Amino acid sequence: MAQATVDKTALPRSPLEIIVDRIWRFFCSVRAAVVEIAILAVLVLIGTLRGSDAPQWLANAIPATQPFVDRWYAWDVFGSLPFIGILTLLSIAIAVCTINRVPGIWNTIANPTVRTSRGFLRSADLSATYQNATPPEALLDDLSTSLKKQRFRVITERHGEETHLYADKNRYAKLATFPFHLALILILVGGIVGGRYGFRENEFLIPEGSVREVGHGTGLSVELVQFRDSWREDGTPAEYRSDLVLYEDGQPVQEKSITVNNPMSHGMVTFYQASYGQAATLRVTDDEGRTLFDDSVPLGLYTHANNPDAPAGVQVLPQAGVQLNVIAPDNNRANAPELDTLNLRSGQMYVQVREIGPNASDERPSAAINMGETARIGNFNVEFVRESRFTLLQVASNPGIPIFWVASLLLVAGLAITFYFPNRRIRGILSMAPGSSGSQLELAPLAKRDWSAKREFKIVAEKLADTLQTSPMITERASVSDTSEVSAEGRASAANDSRSTSVASKEVR
Amino acid sequence: METLVKLSFYCFTAGSIALIGAWLCYLGYAVGRVRLRRSAMATAEGPTISATTAEFGPGSYSLGRFGSLLAWFAVVFQGLAILFRSIAAERGPYSNMYEFSLAFIFVLLLIYMLFERFYQVKQLGAIVMTIALAMAVYIWSLPASMREVDALNPALQNRPLMTLHVSTAILAYATFAVSFAAAVLFLIQIKKNVSWLPSAEMLDDIGFRAVTFGFPMLALVLILGSIWAHQAWGAYWQWDPKETAALFTWLVYGVYLHTRSLRGWRGTRSAVILLIGFAAVVFTYYGNYFFGGMHAYGGV
Repeated sequence: MAQATVDKTALPRSPLEIIVDRIWRFFCSVRAAVVEIAILAVLVLIGTLRGSDAPQWLANAIPATQPFVDRWYAWDVFGSLPFIGILTLLSIAIAVCTINRVPGIWNTIANPTVRTSRGFLRSADLSATYQNATPPEALLDDLSTSLKKQRFRVITERHGEETHLYADKNRYAKLATFPFHLALILILVGGIVGGRYGFRENEFLIPEGSVREVGHGTGLSVELVQFRDSWREDGTPAEYRSDLVLYEDGQPVQEKSITVNNPMSHGMVTFYQASYGQAATLRVTDDEGRTLFDDSVPLGLYTHANNPDAPAGVQVLPQAGVQLNVIAPDNNRANAPELDTLNLRSGQMYVQVREIGPNASDERPSAAINMGETARIGNFNVEFVRESRFTLLQVASNPGIPIFWVASLLLVAGLAITFYFPNRRIRGILSMAPGSSGSQLELAPLAKRDWSAKREFKIVAEKLADTLQTSPMITERASVSDTSEVSAEGRASAANDSRSTSVASKEVR
Repeated sequence: METLVKLSFYCFTAGSIALIGAWLCYLGYAVGRVRLRRSAMATAEGPTISATTAEFGPGSYSLGRFGSLLAWFAVVFQGLAILFRSIAAERGPYSNMYEFSLAFIFVLLLIYMLFERFYQVKQLGAIVMTIALAMAVYIWSLPASMREVDALNPALQNRPLMTLHVSTAILAYATFAVSFAAAVLFLIQIKKNVSWLPSAEMLDDIGFRAVTFGFPMLALVLILGSIWAHQAWGAYWQWDPKETAALFTWLVYGVYLHTRSLRGWRGTRSAVILLIGFAAVVFTYYGNYFFGGMHAYGGV
C-alpha cells in the first residue's frame, strides 16, 4: 500500500496526459462504439425513410407535422455534417481501438498465461475432473497427445508439485477482427478516393451516328452506331442495346455492343447503358451553303408550350447565334388534344429558330418539315434527314473501386474467420491425487456465458476420457451472469439450480 | 412450362398445409400441458366445497416429434415448389416478392431444422413456424397473376449475380428470423423461468450463433449488391433506400454483436436488440412496397 502511494507521487500525470488518456479510452470504449454505431444506424434509418412515403404518411395522419416532414425530405442526410462526423468518429475509434488491442491479443496468442488457480477451476461454470492411477508425468504425454489430435495447442508449466496446462485452438482467428474493422475504414477511403480522383457523368447522351467526347482529360470519345431495343409480346422490355465505337485521341480502340448489365470498360473509364430516347437528324445550312449543323437532336428532354405532350429538344448553334427548338408529333393524341396546337403528322418535325444573345429578336420563325425535305426557316435551310434515336449512357471513372474490392474481401473473410473459427481455451492442473500415487487432472474451459464453448468442452472431455481410460466427473454450475436482469421468481429458481447441479455432479460415462 | 408452374403452386399448397400442422404441434409443445384439477372437500355440515386448480407441465413429446415430421414435410414440399418454379423459369425464383417469399419459407424452415437438430430444441419451432406461416399467408394474399413466370427486365438480367445476391439475402434474413425466435423465447424464459423451455443460456447462444451466420451473409448481400450495381448502374453505392435499409439492418446487428461484450448488456438487452434487428429485417424485406429508387421494380 505504502509502495503504491510512493509510485503515485513519484509519477504524477500532467493534465495533458490525463486528457489524452481519457480521449484514448473513449475511442477504445466498446460502450462508446455501441452508441456511435447506434447513432449511425438511426441516421441511416432517417435517410432511408426519406426515400419513401413513410414521412408523408405521418404528415397525413398528423397535419401539424407537415413542416417537420418537409424539412425531413429536404435534408440530405448522407451528405450532412452529423453523418460525416459520426463516420469519421467511428473510423478514428476503429483505428485507435485496433492499435490498442493488437499488442494484447498478440500476447495472448504468443505468450498466454499458463498458470491458473484451483479457485478458477472450481468456480468455473463447467469443469471436468479425472482421477487416474497413472503418475502425473506419464499422464501428461497422453493428455497432450489427445488434445493435439483435437487441434489444440498445448503449453504446460511446472509449479511445485503441479503441472499447469493451457490449451487453445483457432488462436490466430482472434486476429481476424482487425482486417474486418480495417475493411470498414478502407471502404470509406475507397469512397473518398473515388469522389476525389474519379468522375461520373449520369447523362451522357449520344444520338445515333454521332460522336461525343468524354472529357475529364481522358482523350476518349464515343460513337453510337446504332441503338436497338426489343420488346416481348406482353409489352415488357427485353433488351436495350447500344453499338458503340470508342476512340482514344481520335483512333478507334474498341467496339462493343453494350446492354444494361454488360458495360464497356477502357482503363478506369466504364460506359453503362442507362436509358434511350427519340432523336431527329437535322442538317442546317446558311445562305452561303455552309453546314452549321449535321447531327441528331435528342428529343424528350424538353417540352414545348405549343404541345406539352410531345417530345421536344433544343440544339444551340453558337456560331450562328441561334437555338433550334425541335418538336416531334404527339405520341398520345388522345391525351389533352386541346393542347396540341401543332397537329403534326407522323413523319413530320416542327423546327423553330430562335435568336440568342443580348440583342436577340423576339421573332421565332418556324416550320413543320416532312422527313427528307428541306424548309427555309429564317435565314437558314433546315433539312429533316430522318428520325433516329439516342442512347443515354452513364460514364464513370472510379479509382476507388480496387480499394473497395480489397476491403470487401477483407470484410467478409474477417467476419467468416472470426465467427466460424472461434477461439477455444482450456486451463487445467495436473497433480498427484490426494492420498494415492495416481494423478488428478482438473480442466475447465474459458467459456463463461458461452453455451457452444461449453458444449465443445464436453466433447473434448469425452475424448480425453477415452485416451486417459478414466471417466471424468463433470461439474456444471448454472451461470448467474444475468441475475441482475432476472425477475425475483427467476432469480430464486436460478439459485436453486446452481445449488443442485453443483452438489449433484454428473458422470459423463 | 405452365404445368411446372402449376405443380410448383400445388407443392406450395401442400407445404402450407404441412406448415399449419407443424405450427399447431410446435405451439402445443412449447406452450405445454395445462391440467385442471378439481378438488373436493366435505364439511362437517355436509355440503362439499370444490375448487379447480391449473397445473402446467411440459408439452407432449409426441407433439414435438409430429411438429418436426410435419416441418420436414413442409421443407420437402417448399423445396419442390421452388425447384419446379426454377426449372420453369430457367433461373432461381428471385424476380418478384412471390418467388422471393417462396424461397424464403424454404430456407427459413431448412435453417430452423438444422438448428433444431444441432441444439436438440423443438420449442423454438413455435415462433419460427409462426413466421413461416405468416409468410405463407402473405403469399396467398398476393394476386394470382404473380404466380405466372415473367421474363426478367433488362436491369435484372444478370443471373449469376442475381442468384448470389438474392440467395444470400434469403439466408441472412432466415437466420435472423431464427435469432428473433430465440430472443422471444429468451425473454419469456427470463421473465417466467419455464422449466420445459430451453435454458436462457442456450437460447442466448442460439440467437448469437444465428447472428454470427446472418451477419457475414448480410455483409455479403451488400457487397454482391454493390458489385451488381457497379456492373449495371455504374456505381457500387447510390444511397438507394433498399441499400440503406439493408445497411441499417446490418448496423443494428453490429450493435447487437458489440453489446454482447458489455457487462449488463448481454442477456435481456441483447435480446431486445435482436427484436429490433428482426423488425429492421421485415422493414427491409417489404421495403419495395414503399421505397422509391432503383429497387422499386422488385416489389410486386
